[in-house]
Amino acid sequence: MLSRRTWSALVVLAICHGSQTLLAGDAISPDEFDKLHALIKPKPAEEKWTEIPWMTGLWQARQRAAAEGKPILLWEMDGHPLGCT
Amino acid sequence: MAKEEYVPVTGDDWYQRRREDAEGEFFRRVANQGPRKGDGGGTRQGIYMFTASGKLLAYKNAGQAPEVMRDVLRQGLAEWKKLPAAQRRPGAVRVEDVDRLDRHYVRTPPAGGLILSVFARALDRDEHGALCDASCKVGGGNEASRDHVWLTEADWKSLVPADAQKGDKIALPRRVAERIARFHLIDNTRGEPPFWRREDIRTLDLGLTVAEATADRLRLRLEGSALLATDPDASRAERGYDARLLGYLSFDRARQRFDHFDVVAVGQHWGEGTYTRGARPGRTPLGIAFELAAVDAGDANVPPQAARELDAYLAQ
Repeated sequence: MLSRRTWSALVVLAICHGSQTLLAGDAISPDEFDKLHALIKPKPAEEKWTEIPWMTGLWQARQRAAAEGKPILLWEMDGHPLGCT
Repeated sequence: MAKEEYVPVTGDDWYQRRREDAEGEFFRRVANQGPRKGDGGGTRQGIYMFTASGKLLAYKNAGQAPEVMRDVLRQGLAEWKKLPAAQRRPGAVRVEDVDRLDRHYVRTPPAGGLILSVFARALDRDEHGALCDASCKVGGGNEASRDHVWLTEADWKSLVPADAQKGDKIALPRRVAERIARFHLIDNTRGEPPFWRREDIRTLDLGLTVAEATADRLRLRLEGSALLATDPDASRAERGYDARLLGYLSFDRARQRFDHFDVVAVGQHWGEGTYTRGARPGRTPLGIAFELAAVDAGDANVPPQAARELDAYLAQ
């Protein structure tokens, strides 16, 4: 016979399983779509660096720097900083 | 400081260090003044500060250490201010337009094409079993990755069925489905990812259902699944992704363009690549989200990571 504690544990497990979503092999529920889409996209705190108006053409940046009398800051990565990882 | 005192620009070193044109030569001339001279074709990645004439002011490759970078930015400015005022004034350097680009290493979005933004995020489950953001160390998958999808005009037009009726079902054209699967259902949350080989596609079943068809609008639901694995027996594969997809697309018939293209892929991912070490052990949830790229965003013309091999990326 199962103890009260075991039953309680099973009920908790059942409740958790009932609310569990997207186990391997499960289809995505339309009700969850918007939430998932928003969860995956970058959060505002992850986008602080986009407040800098990064240019994407070095030659154009060079022309602008010459015209404005400023130095150039180049963020150069393997994998475009604005488009990979 | 980066915004006000400098002209900030980004670049993908894979292209820049190979370009045989004025821009590539200029970049290498600057980089050769620093510690990374690209010996043997190696990387020159890092953060550079230099003048329009090509004098290196400062260099550091510590993009994930903000306090270090702040110091280097200050160092670059200090070096800039040491230069004679005549060299720093606006117009002191003349930079002509370039008349030739190395087409092998310059990418431009396909004419009339469609650009999607795509993000990937390591997920976990909260105490209720619901999907949530995974807790990872800085640089180890703690943030969403980002990339772009390029669809040619022929690609996106193939998603708009002629004479569509509500309830109609069509398979996603194979070239579009394969491009999404091979090059965008990937874990790039920790660095440059390995892409899937065509033979890694174990199953790929993506279809569109017409949810609404009126004179001026077409609404489509994208559904399906993909099993991508480096071994025919996925249970033995060193790397794999078992994903389900759902998406909602909306096409404005009058303007002949998509105005929504929202898709989610979620599934269990496992394994890592040469430049994506540090994967979580075992099979763990990975989410990928697609949406239309903002056409006025500064990064909209940044090519897909996989477009380095452009012919393979756009293969029919």
